[in-house]
Amino acid sequence: MTHRLRPAFGIFLVGAIFAAMSHPSLAAWIVAGLGEEPRRGLSAERLLALATHHLGLAALGLALVAVLGLGLGILVTRAFAAPLRGGIDGIAAAAQAVPPVVMVALALPILGFGGPPTLLALVAYGIMPVLRGTVGALESVSPEAREAAEALGFTPIQILLRVELPLALPGLVDALRTALVLAIATTAVGALAGASTLGTPIVAGLQNQNVLPMLQGALATAALAFLCDAVLLGLASLVSADRARQ
Amino acid sequence: MRAESDWRSNRHRAAFHASSAGLFGAGLLIAFLHRMALLDIAPNRLLPGAPVVASGFGDGSIGLVLLLSLAGLVLLATLPRRMGGLLAVGLFAAAWAFLLLGLGAEATRRLASMPPAARASLGSGFWMASACLLAFAGASIGRARIRGLGLLAALAVAGILIAAWHGGGLDRLSLVVEYAGRQETLHRAVAEHLLLSGGAIVLALPAAVILSLWRSGEGIVGLVVSGIQVIPAVALFGGLVALVSGLVRAVPALRDLGLSALGPWPALIGIAAYLLLPLWRGIGTALRSADPAAIDAAEAIGLTRGQILRQVRLPLGAPVLVGALRVATVQSLGLATLGALIGAGGLGRIVFDGMAQFAPDLILLGAIPIVALSLAAEAALSAMEASCRARWRA
Repeated sequence: MTHRLRPAFGIFLVGAIFAAMSHPSLAAWIVAGLGEEPRRGLSAERLLALATHHLGLAALGLALVAVLGLGLGILVTRAFAAPLRGGIDGIAAAAQAVPPVVMVALALPILGFGGPPTLLALVAYGIMPVLRGTVGALESVSPEAREAAEALGFTPIQILLRVELPLALPGLVDALRTALVLAIATTAVGALAGASTLGTPIVAGLQNQNVLPMLQGALATAALAFLCDAVLLGLASLVSADRARQ
Repeated sequence: MRAESDWRSNRHRAAFHASSAGLFGAGLLIAFLHRMALLDIAPNRLLPGAPVVASGFGDGSIGLVLLLSLAGLVLLATLPRRMGGLLAVGLFAAAWAFLLLGLGAEATRRLASMPPAARASLGSGFWMASACLLAFAGASIGRARIRGLGLLAALAVAGILIAAWHGGGLDRLSLVVEYAGRQETLHRAVAEHLLLSGGAIVLALPAAVILSLWRSGEGIVGLVVSGIQVIPAVALFGGLVALVSGLVRAVPALRDLGLSALGPWPALIGIAAYLLLPLWRGIGTALRSADPAAIDAAEAIGLTRGQILRQVRLPLGAPVLVGALRVATVQSLGLATLGALIGAGGLGRIVFDGMAQFAPDLILLGAIPIVALSLAAEAALSAMEASCRARWRA
């Protein structure tokens, strides 16, 4: 079991190192090493507050994306929704062409400054990878398994809950992992729309030409991304280990 | 007998589902066109506008749009596949053109009696209805299964847009006014954007080739290259600015070579770093995609390793390579937007200017070319991928 968690542990370690480097004293030392005078760094408390807010916003977005993406993915793979597929694929392709920054920018005039435009961008940008991942995972379930369940007299709901979803689980977790990395990155971009996230010190540092908060923000954002990715990767390997044992 | 009745009831059921999906879509379109704001009329470009809904329009253009779209849906559901799909795509494109022209005409009518600073922006109803029509068109193209129909439809819509714009029918829409005031800036931004994303690909390609040549380090390269993907772009760009500024300070000679902390270089390096994964993975898969039997056969007839690479491995891997290039190009065009944050210019600067001024139409002026470029790159390279696949399989 433990050797399965090794890749996740490696990513976790990278995240932890980045997090340590974002600490004001260590970051100030790095900035001094770069030949810049360290000034007006962020305290560890401020960094932690920003990280908490960042994580909260990203988690809320991810939850919405998971519910909508999984729901739509399940809906689209039902037989009755087959005619909708072409239209949904078209919109999915179009939505992928809009980068997260542009999503945040477009949401800004509709929702004003702060968290809401970021949340809208999170949902709009994250839903398609989850939808595609869900459809892919559900379509990879072998028709034999479905037919066998049908022959046993399962209702369509039972087939979905007891055959399709459990068999598609590793693919679903993978899709969520992609969405999580996207959510952390999009939330960082949300700083441009005035959301207070770990992107805020980066943007402010770029504007004031102040390297220390910029570096701290960059390291902390990367740390958060790696730590969250490690958690979901660990979850994914536990899920597949569970499957292998069955 | 039973099979036949099953088949018939399945077919019946599919037709029923198709028409219910069509009804659902028609309902959405009617709601978007008649309940949401199609135009926003504001006293100037920064103030929020008063919404104009379809019932307030001076002509029947919205009724015509609805008629054309519904006709398209009916044809899609009743006619055979190819014919129905083809006609429906045409009707949906025409509906969209009439929607746009109708809004342009209404804007001209409304603004005629207002001061010159007044603006007419496209409202949320227009965007939602456009998305709806796009979804309909996507469904019809999928149903028609005619090669090149998507490209044809896109070209037709682009042609309509250009004709309407040159004819002056859209002149009073805020987006067009915004463009007229910044034509030079926009053209320069597009050039910078293309240079930035193209430059990053040029930078990443040789790096990916070198990395894929290092066979013994495959594990480490894989970890590093996919680790980069996890880092949010804002963070990587910020970190690179810090690093490059330190580097320039330590080695002042670099400054004479044109390297500076803010500007295109950190952005180029940052974008290229993200492109390593798709390119490296694509090269690896492409070179391995040749059947070992084909390689054995090539060796048996005495081809050298270089000849095998050129005549067997590369042609067989070409579709995968083009696919990797497609993913990298779309990613590069998107990431270049963020380059404006660190002074690299490009279309992102127009988007950020629009955000700073809270001017929605300025944001759109930057956003629309970005989306159009990504879609065009995606379409062109996936067509190339398909033709590579068809050519080498035959």
